[in-house]
Amino acid sequence: MRRKFVLAVLSAGALAASLFVAVTPAQAHGYISSPPSRQANCASGAVSGCGDIVYEPQSVEAPKGSTQCNGGGSRFAVLNDNSKNWPAASVGQTVTFNWVLTARHSTSTWEYFIGGTLLASFNDGGAQPGATKQHTVSMRGFTGRQTVLARWNIADTTNAFYSCVDLNIGGGGGSTPPPTTPPTTPPTTRPPTTPPTTTPPATGTWRAGTAYAVGSTVTYNGVTYRCRQAHTAIAGWEPPNVPALWERV
Amino acid sequence: MGTRLIALVLLLVVSGCTPRPETTPAQANNATDVMFLQMGLAQIDEGDDLATLVAQRAEDPALRTLATDLGGQWREEDGTMRRWLLGWQQPLTPGPGTDHAGHGHLHTLRPADLADLKSRKSDFDRTAVGLLLSHLGNCVETSRMESAGGAYPPARALARTITERRQSQVRALLTMAASG
Repeated sequence: MRRKFVLAVLSAGALAASLFVAVTPAQAHGYISSPPSRQANCASGAVSGCGDIVYEPQSVEAPKGSTQCNGGGSRFAVLNDNSKNWPAASVGQTVTFNWVLTARHSTSTWEYFIGGTLLASFNDGGAQPGATKQHTVSMRGFTGRQTVLARWNIADTTNAFYSCVDLNIGGGGGSTPPPTTPPTTPPTTRPPTTPPTTTPPATGTWRAGTAYAVGSTVTYNGVTYRCRQAHTAIAGWEPPNVPALWERV
Repeated sequence: MGTRLIALVLLLVVSGCTPRPETTPAQANNATDVMFLQMGLAQIDEGDDLATLVAQRAEDPALRTLATDLGGQWREEDGTMRRWLLGWQQPLTPGPGTDHAGHGHLHTLRPADLADLKSRKSDFDRTAVGLLLSHLGNCVETSRMESAGGAYPPARALARTITERRQSQVRALLTMAASG
């Protein structure tokens, strides 16, 4: 009897040790705080019923290459649940993402996707970031409700940190307004079902950084477009992507 | 009876309350308690200048108040942590070669972060919120480590209080970040 009890205590101790390993939040490192990512909305209390992620929004770590909001791991599956009522921040075509980093791993790249489309990639070349990090990313003509998947790819491990950010794009307001006169009518005419292909090898006269007046014409990949609203072009505002700015001639 | 006892022991372990054999003193501590207090002191030390600066310079009065409250709570927690470590005749800082010391440079707030914040003409509040979120995220990890593995009941209770306090500050800061 006594021996049995000791054995039980011993195995309970082993169980406790394995639990200790499982619950020790030692792998925590970073997430997007604004516009709020899904884990930020959980940690702020804006969304309830998220589970343990509220204590460690920075812990969504998984092997690189996943397209899931939780990185494809077994933890934090709640982040993949699109039926949960995630608030969507209203933004313009240019969005500034702010990261909170609790550990500064040397970084290979930061990537931003909508669906299968790579919106932007920033190569840090193995540098160590500060405690915060900011990227300004063009939404490349996507409009309406979208989920941006951001991946922080660590240089010296096989893992990445994942953050999904729900946005209502072109819905007015915006965390960062476009740097130039924004289109007065948001480009909502574009069907969201046909996302732009990733950075096509552009040919033609259209150039980012050029100021275009109403009526001016450009060519882009063999097609001629006429400017509908005066603006200074930026990457992501390619004529086929933004019908509010360019009409096909 | 025996089965019941074992079930009780298992339940206690699973729920995170380490059962203490009758032979040890009621207030025994373990290595996790010591690490929690040492890391806690280091994090307060790192964070204190940040809290003071934000309490003075933030534009948003709610952010100033949060930083002032945080500084006050830290002073109180700092006193308790020191008292326990001194009572246990343990050093106030983690020794070289410990996990924290080895990994610490990745997790610490740096003088450069504070200098950058100090020199900011614009965007002070946004930067301050980011730095506080980063630092408080690490503080919560430390207090949760104690909740998961600490033995000394008063330290576990302190960890619970700290987790609650830092979580409520993180909630407020994230709400500010989302609205800014």
